[in-house]
Amino acid sequence: MIAEFGYGITLVSFLVAVYSVVAAVYGATKKSASLVESSRRGMLLTFPLITIAAGSLIYLLVNNHFEVAFVYEVTSRSMPTYLKITAWWGGQAGSLLFWSWLLAAFASAVTIRKWDRDIEFLPWVVMVCSVTLVFFLGMVVFYENPFTRYWLVNGNVEPHMFQPALATIFTPQDGNGLNPLLRHPGMVIHPPMLYLGFVSYVIPYAFAMAALITGRTDDRWIRLTRRWSLWAWLFLSFGLVLGGRWAYDVLGWGGYWGWDPVEIAAFMPWLTGTAFLHSVMIQEKRGMLKHWNMILVILTYALVIFGTFLTRSGVLSSVHAFANSPIGPLFMAFVSATLIASIALVIYRWPQLRGETEMKSMLSREALFLLNNLLFMSVLVICFWGVMFPLVSELFTGQKVTVGPPFYERATAPIFAGLMFLMGVAPLSAWGHSTVKTLGRAMWKSALIALVVTVILFITYTMNYIALIGFFLIALVIFVTAQEFWRGARARQRSQNENFFSALSRLMGRNRRRYGGYIIHISMMLMAIGILGMEAFQTSTQGELAKGDALDISGYTVKYRELASWDDTGKGVNFTRATMDIYKNGIYLGQLHPRIDYYFDSQQNMTIPGNRSTFKDDLYIILVDWQPTTAMGATFKIFVNPLVNWLWVGSLLFLVGIIFAAWPDRDPAEEISRRGISLSATQPSAAD
Amino acid sequence: MTEETSNAKHGVPIWTQVVIWIFVVGLLGLVAFGLRRAQNPMAIVGKPVPDFNLVFYEGYEYNGKKEMKLSDLQGKIIVVNIWASWCKPCEQEAPDLQAAWQIYKDGNDVVFVGVDYVDTPAGANEYLTKFNISFPNAPDLKSNISSILNRQMGVPETYIIDRKGILQNIKIGPFSSVDEIKSMIQSVQ
Repeated sequence: MIAEFGYGITLVSFLVAVYSVVAAVYGATKKSASLVESSRRGMLLTFPLITIAAGSLIYLLVNNHFEVAFVYEVTSRSMPTYLKITAWWGGQAGSLLFWSWLLAAFASAVTIRKWDRDIEFLPWVVMVCSVTLVFFLGMVVFYENPFTRYWLVNGNVEPHMFQPALATIFTPQDGNGLNPLLRHPGMVIHPPMLYLGFVSYVIPYAFAMAALITGRTDDRWIRLTRRWSLWAWLFLSFGLVLGGRWAYDVLGWGGYWGWDPVEIAAFMPWLTGTAFLHSVMIQEKRGMLKHWNMILVILTYALVIFGTFLTRSGVLSSVHAFANSPIGPLFMAFVSATLIASIALVIYRWPQLRGETEMKSMLSREALFLLNNLLFMSVLVICFWGVMFPLVSELFTGQKVTVGPPFYERATAPIFAGLMFLMGVAPLSAWGHSTVKTLGRAMWKSALIALVVTVILFITYTMNYIALIGFFLIALVIFVTAQEFWRGARARQRSQNENFFSALSRLMGRNRRRYGGYIIHISMMLMAIGILGMEAFQTSTQGELAKGDALDISGYTVKYRELASWDDTGKGVNFTRATMDIYKNGIYLGQLHPRIDYYFDSQQNMTIPGNRSTFKDDLYIILVDWQPTTAMGATFKIFVNPLVNWLWVGSLLFLVGIIFAAWPDRDPAEEISRRGISLSATQPSAAD
Repeated sequence: MTEETSNAKHGVPIWTQVVIWIFVVGLLGLVAFGLRRAQNPMAIVGKPVPDFNLVFYEGYEYNGKKEMKLSDLQGKIIVVNIWASWCKPCEQEAPDLQAAWQIYKDGNDVVFVGVDYVDTPAGANEYLTKFNISFPNAPDLKSNISSILNRQMGVPETYIIDRKGILQNIKIGPFSSVDEIKSMIQSVQ
């Protein structure tokens, strides 16, 4: 009953979305305000409808309705209720419905206002959002239906949506259970964060398309969606970091990022999104790079859909991928259609998108931002090439050859170094015009301190020159950015007669995006410390130990004490847990407990490392194997991961920075008009 | 689109457009090609496995042969393990697979075959040396084997084929212990 109801509501929301597309396009071309309004209302209606459909699915999940195939696949009786709810996005069909629900929510949030001043955008924004929604809902309705049930037909169990003739419903005793890897708290929120990021990028894209279609190619569309792109970026970044943390905690291979195609698929829209975040500022301040912003937003949208496609179609070999599914060709068609239409529109509007100003100086802030964009694009090209290479090689040589992490690391490292250098220089450059002399004068102190730091590190920590270059750049960016905070606050302190801290907080409050951005730059540098530590100084060892034996690694001594194995029938898990004594330079530090959890329902296990984390390094122990009969010997793999904690510290600061930058402070419409005025008044100054 | 082509000063020049479109279409074509490759029919448990060739890596052989067909092994239980040197979960099971092979290799009733999926010879060699793998290993030339077996999720995956050449079991993801491998083989016997 509930299953039919849920399916019916999904079908209705699909039809409503189709109506919205038609009404929006027809209304816009016939200039019928009432039709456009009707399409907007249709768009708004999809959100409550999909919410009801999703509610039905959650009801089925929570109440063990195993006759529903999706419920059977992703839940089991032993799972706690919150996991049964989050199992909503634990499988293909449910996650597509989840995607649709988020999209409907965001599209509603955007269209709930009537956009009186920008009414010409409205139908096209509704159209783009609805077309995307139609696509996702269409897959749910026709191909990946989470409401399909099992039926007993002539003695065989078959999945069908509606009752076949003479069939009775079949209810399995218990479900298959969610993949244990997905039961980790990080994994519970990692996919929705990525989806949130993916879906929010639909909104800037929709406005960009609206701007292209209507021919209103000023920076209005950028201003309207600026905060959307920031939030989208926040969610996407947070999703990526969570994924890394989850891999570090659960996958048990000692790392957080493996350059897996699916990781790269999520990283690519992040790259274009980051470039977009920077280049929109140039269009706002200088009226330049209009073409470029269009291209970036289109690329981001295409990569979002492409990334979703890659994880679900089995095109690429990956440890992540979903099972093979019939929706691959549909995704392919959708990506092709939207990409071709978008490119055609940009080409058509190319003459109207010309910049209002010319680039004057190669060291001006806009030039440096453009360089930053080019570097991000280079990383994108490397990633894309790496992902596509197995296909290219198979096409031309017949042999599928893959590029491994070393390819990505070697190719991207110098570009990341270049980006770091830019992070150190660009904040000091002025809009319009800068020279080597002005930049040098602003920079030399920070550069000198960074050099001193590097020399100290050379003497006390490492002689690895690549790491030293990295540390120099990190120190440079941190000092330059800190100096920016200092200089701004001091200037305000003097002019407004405030004390230093209130001057600093007011300064930051007035320029949220700028100072939020600086906080993000510093957080990126902290993350870079962690990445550098892992890349340059990670050590590992492996060995089979009898009880009482010890392994030495980088000053640590790890002694195998005992191993215990027990069943927790309530949770449906068998735990095997080793106890290890940890010493550093002979001093006892405590115990660590690497373990392996075996889940009975899904017959899969999960390797949980024992990890001792400090700011200097992590000691990370994995229980690889043991002899079950004697419980005497066990194999361990041990990593020492220097500085990796800075990666997580940086991630937290990153969140702070981006929330600071994206926090809604005033009514957006009022703010836009206010900013518009203040901007034209202050444009000639180089201060911002 | 005639507007801006006639106005070459401001629009996108026609040859640039041609290049852009060739590039975009080529790219989409490439992805479509990959997609077609990924849309193979499923290898079905309980059905015979179609034959394929194995050309072992340097230093590997089975009963003195450096090259063989899957059908040459009929009458034995075959454990086909698909792996790659870039695959981290594979490293987790590699020592167990080798340990299990040590148990079965003298019985001459069970054969392990490693198939290296999408890899470089240098990487493969390093991996095989690192884990001291001694059962026969072959590259998956032209991704032929994995497409016949229909790699389902990623690597590692292990296929158990019975004495009649019928696919009996598929393990997706790494084995967690030697016992797990043994019990899977025993279930076929």
